[in-house]
Amino acid sequence: MKNHPLKVAFSYPPIVNDKGQKAMVSQNRNVQYFKVPTYLLPVTYAQAATWIRDLGHEVYWDDANSQLKDLDTWRRDLIREAPDVVILESTTPVMHFYWDMVKSLKVDLPNSVVIMTGYHSMRMPEETLEHCPADVVLRSNHVDFVLARLIPFIAGHPDWRSSCDVEGLVIRLESGDLRSTGEFKQVEPLEKSPLVDRDLVQWRRYAYENGNFLQTPGTYATSVVRDCMFGKCTFCRYNGPDLTFSLLPVEKSLDEYEHLIKVHGVKEIFDDSGVWYRGKEAKEFAQGIIDRGLHKMGCYFGFNTRFSYLDEETIKLLAKANFRFILIGLEAADDETLARLNKGYQLQNVETCLRWMKQYGLHPHLTIMVGYYWQTKAQLDATVAYVRRLMFKGLARTLQVTLCTPLDYTPYHKECIEKGVLLTDDYNDFDMSKLIVKTPIGHDHYYQAVKQLYGIAFHPKFIWRQILFLLTFRKRDWQFLFTYGFRAIRRVRNHVFNLTQNQGKGESYSDKPVKA
Amino acid sequence: MHKATHKVLDVIPLSEHTFVLEIERAGVEFKAGQCMNIGVPKTGINREYSSYSGESEPTLKFLIREVGGGQVTPRLRQLRPGDEVELDGAYGDFVIPSVGKQSFTFIASGTGIAPFHSFVKSIPDLEYRIIHGVRSGREDYDRSDYKDYVCCSSRDELGDYSGRVTDYISDDTVDFSSKFYLCGNRNMICEVYDKLRQHGVGGDQIITETFF
Repeated sequence: MKNHPLKVAFSYPPIVNDKGQKAMVSQNRNVQYFKVPTYLLPVTYAQAATWIRDLGHEVYWDDANSQLKDLDTWRRDLIREAPDVVILESTTPVMHFYWDMVKSLKVDLPNSVVIMTGYHSMRMPEETLEHCPADVVLRSNHVDFVLARLIPFIAGHPDWRSSCDVEGLVIRLESGDLRSTGEFKQVEPLEKSPLVDRDLVQWRRYAYENGNFLQTPGTYATSVVRDCMFGKCTFCRYNGPDLTFSLLPVEKSLDEYEHLIKVHGVKEIFDDSGVWYRGKEAKEFAQGIIDRGLHKMGCYFGFNTRFSYLDEETIKLLAKANFRFILIGLEAADDETLARLNKGYQLQNVETCLRWMKQYGLHPHLTIMVGYYWQTKAQLDATVAYVRRLMFKGLARTLQVTLCTPLDYTPYHKECIEKGVLLTDDYNDFDMSKLIVKTPIGHDHYYQAVKQLYGIAFHPKFIWRQILFLLTFRKRDWQFLFTYGFRAIRRVRNHVFNLTQNQGKGESYSDKPVKA
Repeated sequence: MHKATHKVLDVIPLSEHTFVLEIERAGVEFKAGQCMNIGVPKTGINREYSSYSGESEPTLKFLIREVGGGQVTPRLRQLRPGDEVELDGAYGDFVIPSVGKQSFTFIASGTGIAPFHSFVKSIPDLEYRIIHGVRSGREDYDRSDYKDYVCCSSRDELGDYSGRVTDYISDDTVDFSSKFYLCGNRNMICEVYDKLRQHGVGGDQIITETFF
């Protein structure tokens, strides 16, 4: 290995299924296949790339999806670049693809160090090293912090495989044996990781094709919270003893927002932290936006939050600061499910929060899942009825439904394995296009619920409610109906197709109730 | 499923800003160190608090510091016996899975000592030392409950040690072969983590729970 700056590729190959759909990362960095593109900037990797560049190395930002490359073009370009290090991010449903791809990549680029990252491999590192010739697996999702140490070490130490003491790695030795450098724990201040260099990661490629942006160009902010300050939801990746949380100082994030608006002309900024600021920091941030005059520059702001986290006063201030899109995980509308998922709040508080958001003009976006292995018909019907009611009352503006799929050895995934409710162990089946757990009722009921939930967008009551919102004379409400509305139709159809393509295929395995 | 609301049994002031909230247990099962979400009914918000009581105690206790301008803690402090709180949980991995012959060093700042109190109250034969960082030595809450406790006070000389927790940690005061549990504000955790690593403590030996 050369003792000089390395060329480091952050590579996202295009993954296309047999229906011609591309694998896209989505909420919580799940992979779903979509015909209609959605390009999400991988924020932590973008920070890692920025950091490594700042350390004097060369970065090759290689996202074939946003760069509209097919597999052959992506591969040819990568081989031509001949990077010293290739960094890949994978997750459960695309593990087979990645293992096969690494095998062939190592034939063409035998001297490149291949580093596998991602929530699946970080929890099963030996599996990946057994199935493909990757050189290193990161046992941490804090790829920026680990890579900022690992890359310089590789550059400076020809014997790095045996001598590297950077924690959080499993390394393949020259002998073929595996060497673990111990568990990585992220307890460093998040502000050590740099803000994303937008030009380095070609931010404009992600600025338009994202269904959550009402205005473009939009972008994702450098996340203010790493992992999750709650971190207990069983289905979520931000959960586990190996994860903690850290927080970016408010002023640093405000600086980035100001830069994005004034230098890059961004019109919508979304922070994809698992859960954004709350309490004192949330208020300070909103007030900071106002104090800097950024709320009058035609840019909307948005984030993920949890029910029971924001009080009325904070919501009012956020609205004044021109926040708009608030993504909240409802998941289900029965207290048993909320408790089993460790959501940490009760259903009775959902409507209170949404009422405040509606009152002050925010646009809450609900995420809902169906198909939990315990979900009864009554629970499913209650969820559909509850969501319809919220949407018809204008308490939420948009929604997203997914089939609850155990992934990446989250507690829910492990629970499904322990209880014997998983119907497949083929990772390719974990692509969220079908239910893969035994359920108390036939799977078709859940697929039908997906249709019912997405069908709300076309219901006269919902449309009438959006028309009534025009009377508020808020610009965002007019945009919502006349800009977002038309765009949404295309996406809703696509979602319904993706999530219900297995309806009517008659899974007999879901006939018997499962005892939890 | 446990019941959603619990009656308040007592609000015990410990200092100007810190108090213990005691509520009825009502069948809640938890592992020492786990946290629960508590909120005042009809306010629409809640926050997470680590257990302060032991696993087999008849009531649930939480050690809480009132946050100036906060949205939940001032309301919790104003509760009176007979009022109700909403409670969700328990959950979390900041627990001791098994004890064996392992010794522990628990390092806390402020109310971050709560889960360690829960550990001590739940596991009788625990071999441990608690290092507690506080501003004033007067904040050594319930110190008689611990068999090996060091109070590090940063703003007065009323503690066992005058100075910050990070300054206290040395070869003479800490068993670096023990398992470390850190709980409290993130600055303390970051600094202590670095110091422990400088003393050769592996990441596998350190468990953290950040209280903002």
